[in-house]
Amino acid sequence: MSGKILYWRGCMSRLRTKSIADATEELLRRLGIEYETLDDEGCCGSVLLRTGQVEDAKTVAKRTADHIKSKGYREVVTSCPGCFRTMSSEYHVLVGDVPFRVRHISQFLFDHSKELKQHLKPIKVKVVYHDPCHLGRHMGVYKEPRELVKLVPGVELVEFKYNRGKSICCGSGGGVHSVFPEIALEVAKTVLNDRPEGVDIIITSCPFCNYNFKEVGGSKVEVIDLPEFLLRAWRES
Amino acid sequence: MDPAWLKSKRKEFKSWMTDEDRRMGLDRAITAYRAAREYALATLPELEQIRKEVRKIKERSIESMQDLVKGAMENIELVHGHAYLAKDAKGARRIFSKLVGEDKLVVKSKSLVSDEILLNELLEEQGNRVYETDLGEFIIQLRKEKPTHLLNPAVHVPKEEVAKTFSKLVGRRVGADIPTLVGVAREFLRDKFCTADVGITGANVVAANTGTLFVIENEGNARFVSNAPPVHICVTGIDKVVPTLSDAFKVVQVLPPYATGILMSAYVSMITSPSRTADIEKTLVYGAHGPKELHVIFMDNGRTEMFKDPVFREALYCLRCGGCMYECPVYRVLGGSFGHNYFGGIGIIWSAFTAGEENAAAAADACTKCAKCKETCPVDIDVPKMVEHLKQRLIRKGYLAPKHEEIKKSILKKGHPFGQ
Ligand code: SF4
Repeated sequence: MSGKILYWRGCMSRLRTKSIADATEELLRRLGIEYETLDDEGCCGSVLLRTGQVEDAKTVAKRTADHIKSKGYREVVTSCPGCFRTMSSEYHVLVGDVPFRVRHISQFLFDHSKELKQHLKPIKVKVVYHDPCHLGRHMGVYKEPRELVKLVPGVELVEFKYNRGKSICCGSGGGVHSVFPEIALEVAKTVLNDRPEGVDIIITSCPFCNYNFKEVGGSKVEVIDLPEFLLRAWRES
Repeated sequence: MDPAWLKSKRKEFKSWMTDEDRRMGLDRAITAYRAAREYALATLPELEQIRKEVRKIKERSIESMQDLVKGAMENIELVHGHAYLAKDAKGARRIFSKLVGEDKLVVKSKSLVSDEILLNELLEEQGNRVYETDLGEFIIQLRKEKPTHLLNPAVHVPKEEVAKTFSKLVGRRVGADIPTLVGVAREFLRDKFCTADVGITGANVVAANTGTLFVIENEGNARFVSNAPPVHICVTGIDKVVPTLSDAFKVVQVLPPYATGILMSAYVSMITSPSRTADIEKTLVYGAHGPKELHVIFMDNGRTEMFKDPVFREALYCLRCGGCMYECPVYRVLGGSFGHNYFGGIGIIWSAFTAGEENAAAAADACTKCAKCKETCPVDIDVPKMVEHLKQRLIRKGYLAPKHEEIKKSILKKGHPFGQ
């Protein structure tokens, strides 16, 4: 138990964008990572924090921190940048210091680049990487996702005109998607319309961006999460 | 079901989002702004250092806001100006009402602070004729619309529409050609400047040690407004005062590139006293070619309240450059409906404190907290943090969106936000 890694799927990948969690688990298995998931995972508190419900956020954060602690995990890996930001940069305020390290899946996989690289087959495709706000601007993770994309031979990685720190929000953060889905969609459209020309795939590293972009629908561009993309390259021959 | 505070705002949001003309106008403005600002920042690399100094200046100034205002007021009085402190909008309205009186011709240059107190309505009620002279404000005033951007209030009105508005004004057909349109405004307003009884301006920054007001502009209208009429009234926030002239100059350097992407504004007027001369027998007389009277009104209207909370205090550092609005993904689709009397993320905070929290509740739920504004801001204001903080306050007063409440209940009970 102890020393093992907890793959924290997060509510979105667990229940709404399941393909993200499935692909991530498959990738972890193929890499031979010993990890576990929690059936009764619960909530990290991010959504509550972003919508101003800080007392409730504290309650669930405490619950979650205790839960993870009680299982003895030393490391938590998340699919969702929101969970990542909240657990790694806000838990110390909400619940005090926690005895586990939290990383985003892109950071974790980046450390396994060498093994990954051996298995990734070429895909001839032009992709753009969309920086999720919580991962990029809020947590400063820009390099790892891009390096991972570049591991796949044959891929042409291009950039949004406004990227990295200047990246434009997909529109669904901060609880906007639940209260004003019409605004979230309209913002997502502006981002999709601004994509560089000739791009086949938009890679995101956030289930919220993923879900929101896909909801726009009718777009000629595929939207895919980073581990999903890597898994695809592992399969292609 | 939406409660009233959400319902009305949702309607307003929708009408903005679905208005293609306005959206197009705004998109064009955003593209133009970004290109211009990139150029300006690349051309003036020293700004990177200066903006950091300005952040420090603002931190220091806001710490001693009350003392600085007191100092500025004393120094204004010393050189024959009149200074007033208005606690709230009501107080400011009372001062204005007395100073302007009735049946006057009033010219105004752009002032956000005057919008906080609904000054135009007040003056008109008293039987005064009021002309906004900033071209964008002038257009909005004629069209009886709401401004949509701090500095570029008519950013959403295409030239064809302006032509229609102006044709009505001058009683002849005016072509939808931009230089012609500008010419019409120039011609119409010129005589108003020279015959007005009172000129009203804001101030972008005030130096306490000399009592000097800085008015930054491009059109030259603020110079007219502050100089041609016999009475000049300036209304500004108590947050605008910095200790010294040198501090003020730093702010002046940062504002234009961040506000509009220009290297420096066409005009920066520094006003320290009414016009004066001592050319005849060395006898000092006030009222030479410029105004005889200078009145400066410092507005609190929620600013001290902002100061009291360490999180909201940061909002007082805002220079009102408006840059963050152009960069905000939500402002891009909601335009002037994203806020109340101030717009964008920082506008949520300012609207809450100057116009009442109820006016900011829905907009706070439309903010994605993406922090694009923070990244853009010359003084690094952490807007998303403040919006979250404001939302906490609002929830305590009952402004919790039903959807967010459902989410909370679901999370507490089921460990995820999706219900069922
Ligand atoms: S918050 Fe910053 S970027 Fe926005 S208007 Fe104020 S100073 Fe400008």
